[in-house]
Formats: sequence, structure tokens, C-alpha cells
Amino acid sequence: MNNTHLLPLSFSLQPSAFPLIAAFIRRDFLTERSYRLSFALGALATLANLAVFYFIGKLFGGSLAAELEPYGSGYFAYVFTAQAFFGYIGTGAGSYAGRLRLEQTQGTLEAALSTPLGILPFLAALSAWNFIFATFELLVYALAGIFIFKLDFSAANWPAASLVFLLSAACFAALGILSSCFVVLFKRGNPLAWVLNNFEGLLGGVYFPVAVLPGWLLAVSNLLPVTYAVRAFQLAVHRGAGLSQLKDDLLILLIFDLVLLPASAWLFSLSVKRARRTGTLGEY
Amino acid sequence: MKFEARELVKVFPAPVLSGGMALRALGGLDLKAGPGALGVEGPNGSGKTTLFKVLAGIIAADGGMILAGGEAAGAERLRELAAYCPANPRSFYFRLSAEENLRFFGALAGLTAAVALERAGRLAERLGLSAADLLRRFDRLSEGNMQKVSLIRSFSRRAPLLLLDEPFRGLDAVACGGLLELIKETAGDSALLVSSHSPGLLREAAGRIIAMEAGKIKNGDVS
Repeated sequence: MNNTHLLPLSFSLQPSAFPLIAAFIRRDFLTERSYRLSFALGALATLANLAVFYFIGKLFGGSLAAELEPYGSGYFAYVFTAQAFFGYIGTGAGSYAGRLRLEQTQGTLEAALSTPLGILPFLAALSAWNFIFATFELLVYALAGIFIFKLDFSAANWPAASLVFLLSAACFAALGILSSCFVVLFKRGNPLAWVLNNFEGLLGGVYFPVAVLPGWLLAVSNLLPVTYAVRAFQLAVHRGAGLSQLKDDLLILLIFDLVLLPASAWLFSLSVKRARRTGTLGEY
Repeated sequence: MKFEARELVKVFPAPVLSGGMALRALGGLDLKAGPGALGVEGPNGSGKTTLFKVLAGIIAADGGMILAGGEAAGAERLRELAAYCPANPRSFYFRLSAEENLRFFGALAGLTAAVALERAGRLAERLGLSAADLLRRFDRLSEGNMQKVSLIRSFSRRAPLLLLDEPFRGLDAVACGGLLELIKETAGDSALLVSSHSPGLLREAAGRIIAMEAGKIKNGDVS
């Protein structure tokens, strides 16, 4: 008889984070690869999206709008930079809830969370593939900006831009984790995702500087982290702004991070605990 | 390792504003298991799956306690100790092969890819799942072969507590024979709970049977 299972009895403890993240990335890559057309169309859509703003910029010519003066760039350079930046940091905001919802509808969420997997490694691994794909998109943006649209980034302060990037990505990942709490608890109906999807672009300066907004909307805009993130990134890339010029925006982003990161992980853990108590972890 | 449940209670609340009533799925259940195989039978809705999910740490009990090796074990500890095979194999990634699925869920349980794949190969042989089926995309497998993959996922963890909910569902005679052998071998080391609506198979799988009704053990057997 083949004693398949009669090896020393071992019961697994929590798996370590890196092999776990690698397993999620492999799984998501293989799944994405199985939808070949979607994979290719996704990359093409990025370029098509950029072309729209390129021609809008051409239509309105090289004249510099007053609201764009602080950034020292034309409309296309402004929107190109904001789109590339927001495309990446927005991954954190949207991907957690999206991935979690997908796991629910596939019926795999309960199976994944019935293993010794801890909440923090799960969160770290859940959207790892999305961040990798977003990095690839960012690279497409950068190459297209330099070689196709001939944009000039010679003034950029890359260390400052990188710091803005890190603080912003962490902040938006926390917002994404908060948003996924609604998915765990209510399955469909996610007010935070609704706000993130519909108002971040409008009020955060992604498509135009927030200076064009009326005063009352500007006040709302000042409550959103995206406003500080986009402004600081634009200034670092187009004006070469350094830490001293960006310190106010960086400080606000840091405060958002310090509050939102632990709060989001804690609330997500509470949401999962509640779903375990109500027996709704496997529902969709 | 021995497992014991004392006065387990699980009540599923009615959805908010639904006008429905809460469902008392476990009503103060006592149970002792392991090492060895314990058969669990009972009509639909008697609480078998809820019992298995509570013992696996997937859902949290509302009352009572579970002891593992004489020590109180919460849901987190139970997820380390237990492997649960659900009655419905719809808990895999359909676009991935069976083997890739087993590799992924192995990683979640702390197994390296090499160990997960080696165990998958050996268990597949025992259950009559061909090497070609292991490499086939999950959504292209038959129901019975999906069930085999689900069983492989659970057995490959080599957990001290193995919970098999309707494991014979959809299996052919050869696979049933292989599974019965695996259950007997595993029961030497682990506590194994098996549920089935087939009285014959359940009695072949387990020397001791308990019957559940309305969230409790019907004949009061807690030994």
C-alpha cells in the first residue's frame, strides 16, 4: 500500500509573506494571461486614452492657462503627468475592493480565508499583481511621453517625486482597504468606492488644476488626499520642486498615511471577524 | 490530537430589515473526536456543515468552546489545525489548472511549491485522478474530478483535524475505494470527521457514527 499521508504529522502555521505574495502574483498572472485579448486591449486603451488628451491639448494650442502657470506646463503635459501618477496610485484605491469582490463571486474567498493566512499578509498579497501591472502601465506612459509625445521632463526632481509617489500610494492603498470593508460586509454597494471613482478625478486636480473650481468645491477638494498628491507630484516633475517647497503637501500626506494605514487594516480585520460571526464570508 | 466541543452554539442572524428570523444552526452541541474517523449523519439543515465550518475556524461560534489537545482553541488556532473539504467544489480558480490551484492553496497553508506538487501527484494517484487531469484547467474537469481536487487540497495539508463534508459526492467507485483507504490511513494520526448521506459509505469510512438533528447530536453520543 502506498502510504501517501503517513509522513510526520505537520500542521502549518502562518505562511511567511514573501512566498505568499509570490503565489498570489503567479496566480493572477496566469489568470490574466488566460484572457489574452483583454490583456492586449488593456495596454492599447492606455495609449488611446493619452491620445485623447494630446489632441485636446493641440486644439487649445500652446497658450498657457493662468491656472497652469504654477506648474509651468501646457495642458497636455499637465494631464499626462496627472493621469500617469493617478493611474498608479489609484490602483490601490480600486484594486482591493475589486479583487475581493472577484474572490467572493468566484467562491474562493472563504477557501482562502479558511487557511492559516493572516490578514496583513493577505492584504499585502491581494493586490500585488495590480501594482505590478500598474507599474508596467506607468512604464508605457513614460516611454510614450518621451518618445511619442516628446514631453520634456528635464526639470524634474525625481527624489522628491518618488517620495510623493510613495506617500500617495500608501495613502490610496489604505483608502482601497477601507473600501474593501464594505465589500466584506455588504457585498454590493460601496459608498467609498463610489466617492473614489466619481469625485477623486473631478475634485483632485487630475484633469485640470483645482484652482479652476469654485470656492465651495475647492474647500471639498482640500479634504481629499489626491489634491495634495497630484499638486506635489506636478510641482516636483514640472518645476523641480524640492522637499522645502513641498513640505506642506508632504506633511499632510504623511498624516493621512499615519491615520489611514493602521485604521484601514484594523477595520478590515474587524469586517472579516464580523463576516465570520454572521457566517457571510462565503456569500456574494 | 484530540478535539472536543462543549456546548457549541451558532446562531445566524437574519439579514437587517429582512423581516426574517435568526437561524439557530447549532444548539449547544457536545462532541469528542480523534484520533480516528467519526461519521456524521443527519438530514439536510441539521447543522453538519455549520459544525464543520465552526470546527475549521471558518465561522465563529456564538457560544461554547472548542478544545484542541486539551487547550482552548479560537478560530485562528483552528484554521492552523484544521483542513476543511467543502461539499461544493466551487471554491477554486476556474481559469487555472488543477495543479496550479493546488500549488496556490498549498502556499496559503504554508507548503512550498515542491511539497504541494509532490503531495498533489501522490494523492491524485490514490484517488484515480490522471496526470493529464491535474494539468487540465479546472473549469474543464468533470464534477467528480473537481471533487477529487478538492479532496487533494484538504488531505495535502496533513492537518491534525480533517473535516470532509460530503466527500463521496460525484466520485466513481474507484475513487470511493481510494478515498476510503486514505480516510483509514489518515485516521491513524488525525481526528477525521466525515459527513455523508450514503449510510453504507459512511459506515465503511468511520467506525463511530453520530446523528445530528436540529443542531444537536441526536443520540447524545459524546464519547
